[in-house]
Amino acid sequence: MILLGWTAAKVAGALGFGLGLAGFLGWVERKQSAVLQDRIGANRADIFGWRILGLFHPVADGIKLMTKEDFIPRGVLRPFHDLAPALSLGCCMVCLAALPFGGEFEAFGGSWSLQPLPSPVGLVYVLALLGLGVHGVVMAGYASRSNYGLLGGLRGAAQMIATEVCMAAILAGPVFLYGTLDLQEAVRWQGRLLGGWLPAWGVFTQPLAFLLFLVAGTAASKRTPFDLPEGESEIVGYHVEYSGMKFGMFMMSDFIENIVVCGLGAALFLGGWQVPFAHLGGPLGGAVMLVSFGAKTCALIFLLMQVRWTLPRLRFDQLLDLGWKWLLPLALANFLATVWAVWWLGRHACL
Amino acid sequence: MPVSVRPVARPSRGLWEQVYILEVVRGLGVTFRHFFVNLWRHGLKLAGRATEPGAVTIQYPDDPAVLGRRARTRHRLLRRADGSPRCTSCLLCETICPAKCIHITAEESPDPGVEKRARSFDIDIGMCVFCGHCVEACPVDAIRMDADRVELAAYSRTALIWDIESLMQEPR
Amino acid sequence: MAKTIKFRLDGTAVEALEGETVLEAAERAGLRIPHYCWHKALGNPGNCRMCVVEVEGAPKPQAACRLPAKEGLVVRSASPASRRAQSAALELHLVDHPLDCPVCDQAGECGLQDYYMDIGRYPSAMREDKAHAAKRVPVGPHIMLDQERCILCTRCARFVSQVSKSHELGIFGRGHNEAVALVPGRVLDNPYSGCLADVCPVGALTDRDFRFQVRVWYLDGADSVCPGCSRGCGIRVHTSTRRPWHNKGRRLARLKPRFTEVNGHWICDEGRYGYADFDTDRLGKVMRLKDPSAELGWDVVCDEVAVAIRQGMLKDPAGLAVVASGGLSNEDWRAFRSLFVDALKLERFLFAPEPDQVGEQDELLRRRDKVPNLEGGKAAGFGTQIKSLDWDGLAGEIESGKVWGLYVVDRDPVKVWGERGRALAEGLSLLVCQGPRKGLTGGLAHYRLPATDWLEEAGSFTNFQGQVQTYLPALKPLGAARPDWDIFSALEKAVNG
Repeated sequence: MILLGWTAAKVAGALGFGLGLAGFLGWVERKQSAVLQDRIGANRADIFGWRILGLFHPVADGIKLMTKEDFIPRGVLRPFHDLAPALSLGCCMVCLAALPFGGEFEAFGGSWSLQPLPSPVGLVYVLALLGLGVHGVVMAGYASRSNYGLLGGLRGAAQMIATEVCMAAILAGPVFLYGTLDLQEAVRWQGRLLGGWLPAWGVFTQPLAFLLFLVAGTAASKRTPFDLPEGESEIVGYHVEYSGMKFGMFMMSDFIENIVVCGLGAALFLGGWQVPFAHLGGPLGGAVMLVSFGAKTCALIFLLMQVRWTLPRLRFDQLLDLGWKWLLPLALANFLATVWAVWWLGRHACL
Repeated sequence: MPVSVRPVARPSRGLWEQVYILEVVRGLGVTFRHFFVNLWRHGLKLAGRATEPGAVTIQYPDDPAVLGRRARTRHRLLRRADGSPRCTSCLLCETICPAKCIHITAEESPDPGVEKRARSFDIDIGMCVFCGHCVEACPVDAIRMDADRVELAAYSRTALIWDIESLMQEPR
Repeated sequence: MAKTIKFRLDGTAVEALEGETVLEAAERAGLRIPHYCWHKALGNPGNCRMCVVEVEGAPKPQAACRLPAKEGLVVRSASPASRRAQSAALELHLVDHPLDCPVCDQAGECGLQDYYMDIGRYPSAMREDKAHAAKRVPVGPHIMLDQERCILCTRCARFVSQVSKSHELGIFGRGHNEAVALVPGRVLDNPYSGCLADVCPVGALTDRDFRFQVRVWYLDGADSVCPGCSRGCGIRVHTSTRRPWHNKGRRLARLKPRFTEVNGHWICDEGRYGYADFDTDRLGKVMRLKDPSAELGWDVVCDEVAVAIRQGMLKDPAGLAVVASGGLSNEDWRAFRSLFVDALKLERFLFAPEPDQVGEQDELLRRRDKVPNLEGGKAAGFGTQIKSLDWDGLAGEIESGKVWGLYVVDRDPVKVWGERGRALAEGLSLLVCQGPRKGLTGGLAHYRLPATDWLEEAGSFTNFQGQVQTYLPALKPLGAARPDWDIFSALEKAVNG
């Protein structure tokens, strides 16, 4: 009973983290782009004259999206048109469950895990659901019966195939190194120190994989410079026929995918909830774990956001070239190098 | 007629550019620099120690709009000494207007010294492109454009059509 | 074959007829020499000095309008010396000119403006005050005089003495005080007075009807033929459609004479000002009297009219009368005959002019018949094989019940018949009104078929001399209106089933 309550609390916490951060990211996106472009950004929404750096804008946006007319064009394929945003948002929201927000801590005479869904195949679960999310995009494009929507959906599908395959190949390296598909185990593996001073984080042991992961992860979450399914300046994209909160759900799923990818990156490459040189235990340690994981995720999000406002969108053939001709061979080479290194180091008993 | 062609060489890409990732890092460097410098300046401003602004934004209408000194916007019809409009309804402004926003109809003037005057003189401000050609074309200096009068918005399209009386009024 | 004389003008070989001046020969060859006072139909007083040209061998510039063409003459009208002389003449004309182009209706088609831009462009050396004279004097019902703008070319005085022979205008005074004015006690009201606005090369005599309506550069034009009488004068139609707020919203701005062998350079005032109400009372919609608001198509109405005609003719095949107009074009007459004579075999036609369509006649242009194309009707057999009923005869036949139906083309019999017209029209079992205007008949007709007026269609008129002249459309048809011949052929198709 207590266990059930604890799990429910963890699920609620993970969802709250995801949804809250997603809403917040709308503000971050506008403000960060404004600051780096020498602008001020949205700052007019106020409550009783309080503007708080424009923080009410996401609230106003939310109210607007929810109260706006849900305009459904004539001729759309009705059930699929309604289903698509739910599928898109649902797939990336359940990904949140597998993220290792924290490890285990001892309190009240028991051991409490901070991961909502401890699973020996957590990584496969996340990758699978991220891949499934694209069905929402394709479905939206197809059900809209709009040429632009369909183009967006097709781009989404091709982009997903080009990047998800790479994603698996890229992560094969770290997975082989950590020897597990369990994200919690992977984080725990990174807790050790190399040579007594360097944390064994993926970013140090698998630098190439980290770089490739950033590229493939950006592509997987459909963010600029890989926002071809959306491509608002050319085709408006798969959600062109959506309005109101259904459009909002696509926006949310974009942000949550971003959070999931960055959370995955934090877990696999930045040591997850680990804090170097510190042994975390007890309720206080649990809190530190949460903060540590959150901070690392946010740092990655910040980095990707900065990339999003720095680089222009790729052309479609450039994206496919990048995926198939560069990311995949490099990822496979990285995997082979990892295998060889693990074999060699194992033989010399360094690890 | 032979077309003269000047070939423009494509900018060559060296190894540095072709690796691309290095250029990406350089670009990120630019945006990061802007981000943190501006953030620092915003922070200083919040702390009341602003040295330089962190943004180039002008917060119109809280702050006044900055117009060029030579910007001319609101049309004005000038009067004669007796208060009647100077316009002789020659239609040169209507003719030169590229936006076709000036609509004039003429009539016989009761004034023995004037001969022709405007029965109606409408300018559709909503269609005007503020090129100033009407001012240039006027042979009797009857139409001018005022400086610093840009707040011409109205709640309907018809309210944007100014007739001769409103055009003759002194600016607010 | 008159002897031709060859001379050179600005390097071009020009052939002149014997007795022609250099200016006449140049105009005929399409070469332009500046001039104000010379007019092909009004002679060459040689007083404006604008046509001065350099002649090889002559010590001084010569006036081309007074210079007889001679074999081997070498004339330079565009040489620097000629241009200087012409420019000096122009400057002299402009010494007292008020330069009120902004309010002058001539602006845009003014000889002073044209030549100033072509050959003038001098900075004004005039430092004295300009002489003032009478402005905007209404000298007649159609013409406004401005003495200040006058350059004293005397074209107008020559027109009233040579062409209209009415002698209302003259040149009075000397020097600065010399001016065009009315002969005391006279008013410029001859039937050709509108032509004075055409002959005046500047803005001294302008058209009161056109005054301040449109600037001339907003006008579009088309060549047409005046339908005012059986003369068929060539006209140029000026329309104002691009800026509908001008010209009091009317599309037709003015009519100008167009030179043809039929009318020379002139048209009469009746024709010139007779179409001010061109756009009033127009039909633009196919209508049925029973439900006037119904949106009907041409197909539906043509079928209904055809059925009504057929049914009535089953009982009394000769009881349908047709009232036609001499305003139909030759093409309309052909289709008219094909429908009513060849297909329906009708016998009762009325195409004699309405009583008020017979008017004054004079030796210059005006004809008694105020309809343009009775000759075209004759060519189609109307007036030769087929005789016209008269208005009273037709009224009597309707009253006696011999005529049960009336097909009216561009006429208003109810108005002609006056008080009894309404009763006559209501007694008919079928009344069709086809034409550009509604009139009194249109209000009572069972069917109204909107037709284009002559300015909205192409066609041809045959004048009383047998001269066939084509006219071109100047305006777009209003609403659903179609040309008469088009309606006749559509109806014929419907009648033949």
